Amino acid sequence: MWFEATLIGILCYLGALSTPWLLGLTGGWYTITRPLVSGMLVGFILGDVTTGIIIGVAVQAVYIAMVTPGGSMPSDLNFVAFPAIALGILSGKGTDVAVALAATIGIAGTILFNVMMVLNSYWNHRADVSLEKGDERGVYFNSAIGPQITNFLLRFIPTFIAVFFGAQYISAFMDSLPEIIIKTMSVVGGILPAVGIAILLKQIIKSYTLWIYFLVGFICIVFLHLNMVALVIVGALLSLIHYNYKPEPVSASASPTPADDEDEF
Amino acid sequence: MNTTPVSLDKKDLRRCWRAWMMYNLSSMSFERLESFGFCLGMMPAIKKLYSDPKQRIEAMRRHASFYNTEPQIGAIVNGMAVGLEEKKANGEPIDGEAINTLKVGLMGPIAGIGDSMIPGMLIPILLSIGMALAAGGSIIGPLFYIISFNAIMICGSYWLFMKGYRMGSGSVEMLVSSKSTKLREALSLLGVFVMGGVAASYVKLGTGLEFVTKDGVNIHVQQMLDGIFPQLLPLLVVVGVWYFMAKRGLSPVKAMVSLLVLAALGVACGVLG
Repeated sequence: MWFEATLIGILCYLGALSTPWLLGLTGGWYTITRPLVSGMLVGFILGDVTTGIIIGVAVQAVYIAMVTPGGSMPSDLNFVAFPAIALGILSGKGTDVAVALAATIGIAGTILFNVMMVLNSYWNHRADVSLEKGDERGVYFNSAIGPQITNFLLRFIPTFIAVFFGAQYISAFMDSLPEIIIKTMSVVGGILPAVGIAILLKQIIKSYTLWIYFLVGFICIVFLHLNMVALVIVGALLSLIHYNYKPEPVSASASPTPADDEDEF
Repeated sequence: MNTTPVSLDKKDLRRCWRAWMMYNLSSMSFERLESFGFCLGMMPAIKKLYSDPKQRIEAMRRHASFYNTEPQIGAIVNGMAVGLEEKKANGEPIDGEAINTLKVGLMGPIAGIGDSMIPGMLIPILLSIGMALAAGGSIIGPLFYIISFNAIMICGSYWLFMKGYRMGSGSVEMLVSSKSTKLREALSLLGVFVMGGVAASYVKLGTGLEFVTKDGVNIHVQQMLDGIFPQLLPLLVVVGVWYFMAKRGLSPVKAMVSLLVLAALGVACGVLG
């Protein structure tokens, strides 16, 4: 198991928020740390891609709209994406339990994230000193390489331990839990995506009229049984209508009122 | 001052863009955030433009001051700063302080636009498509997300960087014009619409409540609800969580913990599950 745990630990580091090696945020945090993607990677390492992706999708629903403004995080998605999903796969208790497990680990992981932010102050200080001396290599080392050493240790070690020991004990541990806790975990796992969705809605919905679109989207799935690709196409067309027919001066109304002058675009 | 004009070629610009994209958060701390990331992103240009060590230190210091924005859309600011440094190094009367003021003035609005556009809109939309394509554990879903997101982001940020370099401060116009405000509004509409679908597909809650009426008819509440409005309970949960978060200021972590307590109570009473 040490080989798998090492690989997952390295991936966890590569996907951390401040790791530069996969073109920074773009290829790391926003690509491999999305549970949809990490589920596939971790599943591949643990030898069960299908389960990995299924759990990844379920966990992804919770974190679909996690925005991290100014470096403050409600939940450490990186630990959710790697050690937590690995434990979810290893526990063999299904997706809802995996989601509850992941959310718990994610909240706990923010502590380590904050530790890294504090430790980086030390590296920033060293970079300041090198800068005043005109030592360009020092500036590079203390802001690109140095902080990555702490970052690597804080990501790799917890992940390695969680996967290496978790692989032996998680399944037995889950079996030892009383039925009511497993049942609660699976109910919570089912409703947690509501938090992720609500975070996004809180950001976007400035006027109540936008709820109309939310309800239309909801009904398209529940009653009209559209699939997600069709839903995105319908949504894109609706927003195109909105874009074209919204009168030029920005008004409060969000509903697409037919304007008499078409936008000369 | 340099006597011969020094100009940056395409390769230097690409190096600056890549350095910024890689290192923007690499040394983030609470008090400096992206400041050294910006400095490293300027380094290839500074090295080429200033041969005098004193000027180099001054330029590095200028770009290591506090900075924080959404890095991918924020590449446009780096483009502008590189353009201005090039002009300054060639003797144009540009005050170093002015470059900094421009950066500080832009970082707030661009963080606002960037955070609402990328993690707030583009990523959720691409993820929902990816999640749908991944149904049953299909590998197409994650691959779709990896390819589409990276193609959009890498090309987009590179384009914005070059736009910023060529057009200078005029390029911000593009991000804050009424047309782009309208475009963002249309995209947020799409975002809300797709979230409706995501809520319907991924939030799961059912009740195990059963009644036996006087006539001995067994009423299964969930079956009754499914006949009238399937997924009604998940809808209520989403609206409820949104209400407490947006109107009552509940934090995401507290919302998760509250749901846990409610779920535990519900399971203990046998209402949920």
